[in-house]
Amino acid sequence: MSVDAAYLSPSLPASIGNEADATPAPRGALGRRLAVLALRQGSLAVFIGVLVYFSIAAPFFLSVDNIGNVLGQSAIAGVLAIGLTVVIIAGGSNVVTGGIDLSLASNMGLSAAVYASLVQAGQGDAVAIICALGTGLLIGAVNAAAITLAGIVPLLATLAVMNVVAGLELVLTLNTVIPASTEFLATVSATGPFGIPVLAYLLLGFTALVAAVVQYTPLGLRLYAVGEFPEAARAAGLRVKLFISGAFLASGLCGGLAGILSVSYLSGSTTGAGDMLLPVVVTALLGTVFSRRLVPTIGGTLLATLFVSFLINGFQLLNISSTLVSGVQGLLILLVVSATTLLQRKGNQ
Amino acid sequence: MAQSSFKAPSFTVSVRGLARYALVAVFVVVFAIFSAIAPAFLSGANLLSVLVNNFALLAIVAIAMTFAVAAGGIDLSVGTAIDFASFAFVSLVLAGQPIPLAILGGLVGASLVGLFNAILISGVGISPFLATLGTLFVGRSAQQLLTNGGNPVYLPPSSVPEAFRFLGHGGIAGIPVPFVVAFGVIAGAYLILSHTRFGRVVLATGIQASVVRYSGIALSRYTAATYVLVSAIAAVAGLIVTSTVTVYIPSSGNAFLLNAIGATFIGTTLDPHGRPNIPGTVLGVLLLSIVANGLLLSGLNFYWQQVATGLLIFSVLAIGFANRKAASRA
Amino acid sequence: MATSVKWYETDDIISLSAIVKRFGGAQALCGASLSVKRGTVHGLVGQNGAGKSTLIKLLAGLHEADEGEIEIDGIAYTGLSPQKVEHLGIHFIHQDRLLVPTFTVGEALFLGREPRIAGTPFLDRKLMRQKSADILDRYFGLRLPNSALIDELTAAEKQIVQITRALLDNPKVLVFDEPTATLVRREAELLFKLIRRLRDEGITILYISHYLSEIVDLCDTVTVLRNGRDVATLPVRETSAKEIGALMVNRDIAELYPKPKIAQGSPFLELEGLGLANRYADVSLTLHRGEVLGLTGLVGSGAKELLRTLFGLETATSGAVVVEGDTVFPASPAAAAAKRLALVPEDRRRDGVALDLSVTENTTLASLDHFSRAGLLDRGAERRKASELIERLQIKTDSVGALVRTLSGGNQQKVAIAKWLSRRSEIYLLDEPSVGVDIAAKVEIYTLIGELAQRGAGIIVLSSDIDELLGITDRVLVFFRGRIIREFISTKTRPDQVLAELTGANETLRHVG
Repeated sequence: MSVDAAYLSPSLPASIGNEADATPAPRGALGRRLAVLALRQGSLAVFIGVLVYFSIAAPFFLSVDNIGNVLGQSAIAGVLAIGLTVVIIAGGSNVVTGGIDLSLASNMGLSAAVYASLVQAGQGDAVAIICALGTGLLIGAVNAAAITLAGIVPLLATLAVMNVVAGLELVLTLNTVIPASTEFLATVSATGPFGIPVLAYLLLGFTALVAAVVQYTPLGLRLYAVGEFPEAARAAGLRVKLFISGAFLASGLCGGLAGILSVSYLSGSTTGAGDMLLPVVVTALLGTVFSRRLVPTIGGTLLATLFVSFLINGFQLLNISSTLVSGVQGLLILLVVSATTLLQRKGNQ
Repeated sequence: MAQSSFKAPSFTVSVRGLARYALVAVFVVVFAIFSAIAPAFLSGANLLSVLVNNFALLAIVAIAMTFAVAAGGIDLSVGTAIDFASFAFVSLVLAGQPIPLAILGGLVGASLVGLFNAILISGVGISPFLATLGTLFVGRSAQQLLTNGGNPVYLPPSSVPEAFRFLGHGGIAGIPVPFVVAFGVIAGAYLILSHTRFGRVVLATGIQASVVRYSGIALSRYTAATYVLVSAIAAVAGLIVTSTVTVYIPSSGNAFLLNAIGATFIGTTLDPHGRPNIPGTVLGVLLLSIVANGLLLSGLNFYWQQVATGLLIFSVLAIGFANRKAASRA
Repeated sequence: MATSVKWYETDDIISLSAIVKRFGGAQALCGASLSVKRGTVHGLVGQNGAGKSTLIKLLAGLHEADEGEIEIDGIAYTGLSPQKVEHLGIHFIHQDRLLVPTFTVGEALFLGREPRIAGTPFLDRKLMRQKSADILDRYFGLRLPNSALIDELTAAEKQIVQITRALLDNPKVLVFDEPTATLVRREAELLFKLIRRLRDEGITILYISHYLSEIVDLCDTVTVLRNGRDVATLPVRETSAKEIGALMVNRDIAELYPKPKIAQGSPFLELEGLGLANRYADVSLTLHRGEVLGLTGLVGSGAKELLRTLFGLETATSGAVVVEGDTVFPASPAAAAAKRLALVPEDRRRDGVALDLSVTENTTLASLDHFSRAGLLDRGAERRKASELIERLQIKTDSVGALVRTLSGGNQQKVAIAKWLSRRSEIYLLDEPSVGVDIAAKVEIYTLIGELAQRGAGIIVLSSDIDELLGITDRVLVFFRGRIIREFISTKTRPDQVLAELTGANETLRHVG
């Protein structure tokens, strides 16, 4: 009773307290929500606007053939970006101390080289597939061990692994193209139903599979908890290091898969896989803008991948130098990150 | 969130001491191995060529990176700064401007990159990794726009002044100019990081930024200056590389990025407290350079170089971090 | 499960007896006992440093006791881990809420025990949503939008989600650690109702709070800790906030506070109607040269925010700050420091000293200008200054080059002060200067404060240790809900008088009685 009396007393020197009472906290949350909505819808609007512009300026853009092709071309980058997204989810959004896998692109290069070399050596597709995926997984395992056991920050650990892996690829291929053609590879790079490349189906199927796990199972939910608030995850009884290791293994596997796809797409292993790294990083980070909570999601990453691919495609169709794409990517990432940073700053006030 | 860790000081120091020996020991072992298996390695001519060809440029870029890392950040756009310096330099020389002005132009061009980073990091508050990643991408496009889609800009031999050639190929008292410049940069950077107010604030920022702010220091101004300085130092590498090869190739500066980061972090193991430091970075670069050179001379497949380099970075980091982990657990 | 076999039932669900705990040289607990009866709301009170948080951390399995026994449900345990404690049915509602900010309420509630759609590996989001909405509504009358994220909830709502998380495990004991610190009063009332209801449903509550009025209102029994010991355990019906307050403070320690007599000088720092939206309002005060002014108030009372404003970490929304007749506007710490203001912050290890910089580097960090010419540092001069201050403040360190991390809490605090002495600052804002500092170092810090005042500095000490405040200051201003509600002359005041104002106990008496 006495407390109630104190609290209700009108003569309390408590106008501040009353103000605090009268100002419901959700007001700030609402403002933030609106801003997030604007950011998300805005980026979707930009995405759609760009597509609409291209389809008006270059009628071929909207054809099934073209869309199928773009989807097929996105498959490799898409699989890599999805692998990276899993790592970012589990490691948290602080890229330096948290989730980053710089070895992904060279992982793809080495896995592709392993595949192509085995085919050259007369091995069948089954052996080659297993060895390529195994290569990817092994790289993921090394990353996981370096990060969770040796305690090296992911940025540096995966940087060093990247060097080793890229070097091994050079050793294996002597920096040359290793051609590889098998029935399986031909099937993967062929055109499937409705005149759309098989690679496009693979990308969509793979995205759906990973999205199902990451966005719709308890495992995925826990992965987010581990990345965003490890203490809370620990308090909920989760073994944080196990999840982080798992994420790097998954990303390694994605590297291996991307390797197989690239052997198929390019009819062999080629050099320069490492060049894909930074665009993939940018794509995975861009994807966060498509999520309501401004977190990385598998669907968002797919959208970002497609956006970039359509941009390149549209520029090509319009005879605009596709070199602008990297600038657009850079500006987008800066805009997105600035917007989210400013949002968070505002949110903290 | 509150984590209480009680640390045993003496043990911490001794463990880090070991990690410190590790880098020197690795260096000595690597040096000894190459001397044994490749007699040419130890020759004066070879060592000089290591210093000029492998060491000088990477050392300058790695030192630039060391400042970013010392301030608790990273700069993925050092290559962009190199490119911008190179582009401005070449353009001014082609336009018939005197070399000193062209050099100044190169430094200014690179500093614009740094300024852009500074605004993003200290103005907007974006994390250095993301900000400089964005800069890297924007810079790549900007260069392609400036060069009609990425065409190299050559300096025809006729328009290359003597002073220009001197920068890339000349010598002072028999010592090649690139090495002299690198030495100058190293000495200057050491002075700045270890003996100036600016360097102290940068290091303190990297260690505990909030204390710097709570000490009444204008933190954001120092951070901004740091990123401009990083670009300006990287510009020097751009100027040297351009005068050596007499061509500007768009987006070629990125080649240094990963090794520069590697060398910087290898170097942190040299400091008793794991701080980024100039001697450590230099030792890191030296290690990477002699490994590259030694592998080449020892007749091993050229491509093993990168594997060996990666393994080397990996093991030094593993030792450093495992020790740090042990120390913080104690 | 652990509950299946019970060897015998006791009345006490938790019993900590004769607990001793040392951290390095500092004795945090020296024979503290706490027995909590099943089905009661048990209050635990004590001043900062009395040992409350250490005792709770021992119970939570975060620390191990050096001596003494912990019994839960009549069974003695050693080597408790947080998981084990939770398994035994004891759940903690922490001050820092362990909820993932970007999760929906349902996700946060069910993290780690998510329901699946039958026969599939998929999350049953619908069930999570319904179940959480149902529980929140039924227990707490709380209705949140389906899609609400943790980030968008108020502090109180977050707390309710955390309590609900614990309730899903059918806990036997809930431990609340300062639960109302971040709540506004309506929310607090809701919480009290809830706690009573949980008790009526058979859950035992251990309730830790600074608000004595809450303790009196809410608890069945209260244990008072002082200097690492339990000094009393009383049925609340037979006591009062005043009596509890009197038990919390020491009365026999005047010798701890060496306060020299100092003639006050001219007005040094004047605040005129200073205000910060939603934090504090209409703060006017004058600090004279040679004066030590005490501030106190609970978390959220505005006292801490006032110090932050003076040091340029917050920007006042009204009023003026005047230093020796000169109106200043501390817009940043750099600007404040330039006006000779110095802040020794409460979170010493985060803001006060850089743990991985050396003693010398920390000492000169705020005054690098004094040690550099044309930007070049004179390291010799730095070391000399550091040595001088080490001597003057009796900082115990291996060398001037030792990392501050290796120093004890008290010596770290001296370094945090030395930083400003080196800059020759004159207005010192000390935020909880003796938290985590052992007795000997405390006395040295108090002596130093006296010396500074004697040399003409002006000093503001913010502390929640009332004995300390009255011992070392000339005047004490009490903040309550954003305003200065009382001024005391330190020498003429008893600790319980201050405590009554600060905890709102007097408000209770004034308005009920």
